[in-house]
Amino acid sequence: MFSMKKAAGVSAAVALVLTGAFSVAPADARSKAPAKTLTIWADGQRAPNLIKAIGTLSEQTAGDYVPGYKVDVKGYASFDALKTAIDAATPANGPDIVMGANDWVPALAKDGKLAQFTLSTSAAKNFTANQLGDLSYGGKLYGVPLDINNVAMLTNDDLVQTVPTSFGAMVDYYKANKVSQGLTRGLCVAGGGMSWGAAGVLEALGGAPYAMSGGKAKTTGAPFTVATFANNVKSLLLNSDGTPNGFFTDSDASCKDDFIAGKVPFAIIGNWEWKDYVAEGFDMGMLSAVPGVKAGTFGAGFGSVSGAMLTSFAAQAGDDNAAKSFLNDFFGSAAGAASYEKYEGRPPANKGAAGIASPGLKGFGIAASKASIPQLGTFLNGGAKDTTGLVLGTKAKPGTKGANVPAYWDALPALWTALVSSDSTLRKDPTVASQLFANIMAANAANSVNN
Amino acid sequence: MRILSGIKIAVIAKIILVSLALAILGLLMQSAFMNGDVQIGSFLAVAMVLIALIYFTKISIPMKFFLPGLLLLITFVVVPVVYTVSMAAYQYKTGNKLSKPEALAMLQKSDAFAQVPTEPRYDLKLGWCDGKYGDAKPVAGPICALVTDYTTDKYFLATADKFTVVPKNLVTFSKLGLPNGVTQTGAQPAWEEFYPDEYATYDKLLNATRFKYDKPGMFMKAEGYSVMAVYAARITYDSKADAFTDIKTGAIYKDNGKGNYANTKNAKDVMTPGWRAVVWFDNFVALFTDPSISQPLISVFIWTLVFATTTVITQFALGLLIAIVLQKKIKARWLYRSIIILPYAMPSIMSILIWGGMLNTDFGAVNNLISLIAGHKIHLNWLTDPTLARSAVLLVNLWLGFPYFYLISSGALQAIPAELTEAASIDGASGGQTFRRITLPLLMQMLTPLLISSFAFNFNNFNLIFLLTGGGPRDVLGGASAGATDILISYTYNIAFSKGTENFGLASAISILIFVVVAAISLYGIRRSKVLETFA
Repeated sequence: MFSMKKAAGVSAAVALVLTGAFSVAPADARSKAPAKTLTIWADGQRAPNLIKAIGTLSEQTAGDYVPGYKVDVKGYASFDALKTAIDAATPANGPDIVMGANDWVPALAKDGKLAQFTLSTSAAKNFTANQLGDLSYGGKLYGVPLDINNVAMLTNDDLVQTVPTSFGAMVDYYKANKVSQGLTRGLCVAGGGMSWGAAGVLEALGGAPYAMSGGKAKTTGAPFTVATFANNVKSLLLNSDGTPNGFFTDSDASCKDDFIAGKVPFAIIGNWEWKDYVAEGFDMGMLSAVPGVKAGTFGAGFGSVSGAMLTSFAAQAGDDNAAKSFLNDFFGSAAGAASYEKYEGRPPANKGAAGIASPGLKGFGIAASKASIPQLGTFLNGGAKDTTGLVLGTKAKPGTKGANVPAYWDALPALWTALVSSDSTLRKDPTVASQLFANIMAANAANSVNN
Repeated sequence: MRILSGIKIAVIAKIILVSLALAILGLLMQSAFMNGDVQIGSFLAVAMVLIALIYFTKISIPMKFFLPGLLLLITFVVVPVVYTVSMAAYQYKTGNKLSKPEALAMLQKSDAFAQVPTEPRYDLKLGWCDGKYGDAKPVAGPICALVTDYTTDKYFLATADKFTVVPKNLVTFSKLGLPNGVTQTGAQPAWEEFYPDEYATYDKLLNATRFKYDKPGMFMKAEGYSVMAVYAARITYDSKADAFTDIKTGAIYKDNGKGNYANTKNAKDVMTPGWRAVVWFDNFVALFTDPSISQPLISVFIWTLVFATTTVITQFALGLLIAIVLQKKIKARWLYRSIIILPYAMPSIMSILIWGGMLNTDFGAVNNLISLIAGHKIHLNWLTDPTLARSAVLLVNLWLGFPYFYLISSGALQAIPAELTEAASIDGASGGQTFRRITLPLLMQMLTPLLISSFAFNFNNFNLIFLLTGGGPRDVLGGASAGATDILISYTYNIAFSKGTENFGLASAISILIFVVVAAISLYGIRRSKVLETFA
């Protein structure tokens, strides 16, 4: 019978062998400069498309894109999984570059996960100031814009043959055809939700998340004229008795299905889903920005960009300049951006690569060119406090001093509920609700300098 | 002849299994130490020693059975609890996630200098000067940058110590017109571009190099392998005073004791990133003094109590009622039992999402059914009206939970001796009296631990709230930071993971509060019911 000492000895030996078998042997320090690896993290859609563009690790030769380097792309199952991973990343396992949303920038920069990045002069010419602003925080740029995320209004050509020129024209059509065509709504949001996707409707009616001046969002003053917006809501979205006329509701539920079924004449759709509508036979030539109250004006939607961002882990891994080179030379160049977007299929932010856009994407480009506002996380993500009680209340009935001021993402859906909910108990007077929304966004704008 | 006896087989199997466990733990330990996770690595090392000691000696036979459970208990219960408690004492939120040395290093690197916007961005080629190139490549040496200003057609060579203007006639160009070399003449150093593998080898050195510039107070820094930018110092750091000074404004930023360097004249003006700072009880104090937290917390706490209590009472009542009914011999009893267990058999996540759709105001089956019965269209805002949303949450939870109580009540009813009820009947007790005086007290004695655990579960029933109502409806425009159906755990989640900001320290403090409340209520319930005495 084995003695316990022998058993322990055998076990230790087996364990050591097994541990060694699973371990990675350290690289030979004297080996002649083997190719290093630049690591990029992306979500489950972007990662395979980038790999198609640059090749797998085994297909690449060191220096194909960055001298002395190969580029390894790691994909995460979903966008949320990628965000969770980058939030938890450490210098030991973090990537050199992460491909993500522009609204990640403020928090990741605050957490020290991103590093400042400088575009070369030639690459900088390929992007607009708004696009670079989307990937900046505290005056520092953190990445290269990849593609544009925006929405546009699609006119249902089964019902209406020409793109409307004013908001009123759409409301008139709805009222005239509501019963005969069995319309469930006049205008609804099929893509982007009731805050991001519905920004164009807010703007078309005279509202705004923040006031713009010289291409920059203002940190002081009211974001819009409350009386004008409230009057537009009363005349276009409400009946004379103050009840909603049904043209625009506070819910985006079943919008896409209803639109395709011919029960909604106008829908706001995202540029990531236009192919679904083409498959149903809709004409992408009917895309436009949301028409404004005055004919010829348009409501600006968010024209945000996704970005390839430089992480602070790159410097710690000794890959900082390699990562910067890849960002400049691949994503910053027209050829590199085009080769990626050929597979990704979104409208490229890079002007030089815009020629690859399909007719569908061109429609979104036209809509964005008519009216677009940058998506500024520092203004939209909230964080302000109602120190006076007058942001969320009035002099007669002040709110709680020190209460958190909601983010735009929560405030706009709440505004729609207050204006056009089918439940009368949830509705507020349009002027009161609009004033509260304006107060909220003004407070968040003032607080943006602290974000 | 038997080569191996049964005992030998058992010993060999033990060696293999323990070796595998040790190998896996060893691998994890190695990777933990390599990642700098010293605490995890140390714990794994101790675990390995314990496993070897317990299973290869006769030091303690009972521990051979207890050790796996003990290690798992420490890993998955004790450590998270200790971690949560310790995090509650920290300023641990968005912008305060690093250690102080990490944050300080980052601030010194990223904020210490800023690009000079009035200076051009140059094109860059990296290489070596002064003969430190060619076949006899240097092991290390000053990187020499060939800098091109295309706007003025000027060329420079720059190292950390020297900035030299290079006459164009000494620069050689590739067929594409790009500079690719500098000819050596007299004092003019020669220059040769990096070999391809040198970019990767010297990236870290390049990142640390500040190239000399011809203007005072400025230097150049590579921004990749092809861009050179001009920088100037923006802030200075005094390590003795542990303070930063803004060179332009003169503002002084000192450690504010809450994880940031803050402007001494404007506390709101803080430098980021900050760090995880020990703030002791600040997060607990904020629970009761910060109106943005304390005000919703009280209403959320009350609703959580109501929700958990009502849920347990209704689920138990319905489950027991059905158990009593189905105790009697009725036709197709097996069918009823099967149907009643169905909600319990279905994944609750699916059931909740389906209920969410059925409760939709405009298209939901519930409103359609009510409309059908009423004979006209009825719009009940199940999920957007505060009262109806709370009712909906209770209703859906009743649906999800009553089969469980039906099952345990059925079992408990069968465990009550029939003689007791028969004796009561002979003594003239009515059915109601028998139930109240005999069946229910006996049931309660058996089921109280389950009722208490159900209460604790529902006190933290995050899935239901998150999936059905998301905690809403919430009067956002009115400044409500908690929704009508938010319970403490969903409210905590919103604080910890709301858009744009995370506050783990505060969320940990609320978690501890939840633990204290649930523990206190459970303990009270157990003592009142004297359940523990029956186990004594």
